[in-house]
Amino acid sequence: MTQPKESTYQKSAPWLKQKERSNTLMLRIMSWISLRLGRRAGRLVLHLIALYFVLFAPASRRASLGYLPRALGRPANLIDLYKHFFCFASTIHDRIYLINRRYDLFDIDIQGKNVIRPLIDAKKGVLLMGAHLGSFEVMRAIGRKVPGLSVAMVMHKDNAQKINAMLSAINPEASMDVIPLGHIDSMLQVQQRLDEGMLVGMLADRTLGDEPMAQLELLGAPAAIPTGPFRMAALLRRQVVFMVGLYMGDNRYQVHFETLADFAEVPRGERDQAVDKAIARYVELLNRYTRLAPYNWFNFFDYWQSVPASLTEKSHNIHE
Amino acid sequence: MIENNTALQLEIAELMVQALNLDVAAAEIEPDAPLYGSGLGLDSIDILEVALVISKQYGLQLKSDNENNHQIFSSLRSLAEYVATHKTK
Repeated sequence: MTQPKESTYQKSAPWLKQKERSNTLMLRIMSWISLRLGRRAGRLVLHLIALYFVLFAPASRRASLGYLPRALGRPANLIDLYKHFFCFASTIHDRIYLINRRYDLFDIDIQGKNVIRPLIDAKKGVLLMGAHLGSFEVMRAIGRKVPGLSVAMVMHKDNAQKINAMLSAINPEASMDVIPLGHIDSMLQVQQRLDEGMLVGMLADRTLGDEPMAQLELLGAPAAIPTGPFRMAALLRRQVVFMVGLYMGDNRYQVHFETLADFAEVPRGERDQAVDKAIARYVELLNRYTRLAPYNWFNFFDYWQSVPASLTEKSHNIHE
Repeated sequence: MIENNTALQLEIAELMVQALNLDVAAAEIEPDAPLYGSGLGLDSIDILEVALVISKQYGLQLKSDNENNHQIFSSLRSLAEYVATHKTK
């Protein structure tokens, strides 16, 4: 929040460089298969792709082996690794159908509607915070199924361009409302959409490298969690709902909404504590859902990489 | 007018220092240094906070659809100029 920003460090670097490359390749292969052969046949090919990743993607494999034992609570074996890549491939594959509104192909179980429904009806704008956990597209699909509900996604502008290019390739009508990060007025745009009563979503587990982090226990080990999304929510005095769309195998998805934080009535002086509390709750939810659906974690880089020294000295220097 | 703006610049600088807990004195903020990124080193959430504080203090709107946002928030001087011409209180 202030300078010097020694608590800032680049979690973005590994995922920007490494993950997106394999992601794009995978997308390209799978769009082709899905459109030509259909979901059932496509899924056969997914097994080959998962196998390919187990054998020939050492960076992703290392990341997976670093993560899986934490979520599973036991050492990971090759089958776990395979399931992890297969789960990732499945969600990307299904994205193609979800974008084309083929909801009939899926069994989507929505839990926590009572959390989100009143907030949508109140039309005061809600922040949805997810993670690179499960299917991003199934969350968007839920948004499209609810009349009058519109969701804008906050994301890095390079990702936004890639995703929109992909969307328009699959379905020209499926463009996404994106608020690109990295502009001076990115957050003013967020404010405006919320003021219009829209839902604004973001994946709050990754930073873009220019914001402070807080150190928290994620799956039993310290991890650096970006504080930006929660600071923003606090400034904008909004309700925050956690949202995750987990792939549960076959054609089944489970969408969960959970109360995360309510900054509507937080006085200025208590804002920092409220932000800390919200981050702790976010991590608690990440712990719960990574354990519930361990193969859904799609951060294929070392999420637990060395925590910045400034964070380990003082557990919390983000608010001075 | 120029003197007024200097006073306003300092006033805004003080609001920013206070709102963001900056480690610099308000008077030390260079009027022409960039606020965002390099320079003062604010991120877009800091800019949001500044926008909220200034909107409240001076009774004006700083909206995302304003095409001049990059210009307005480019430096303390330009922010003060915008406030001077748009403030309602």
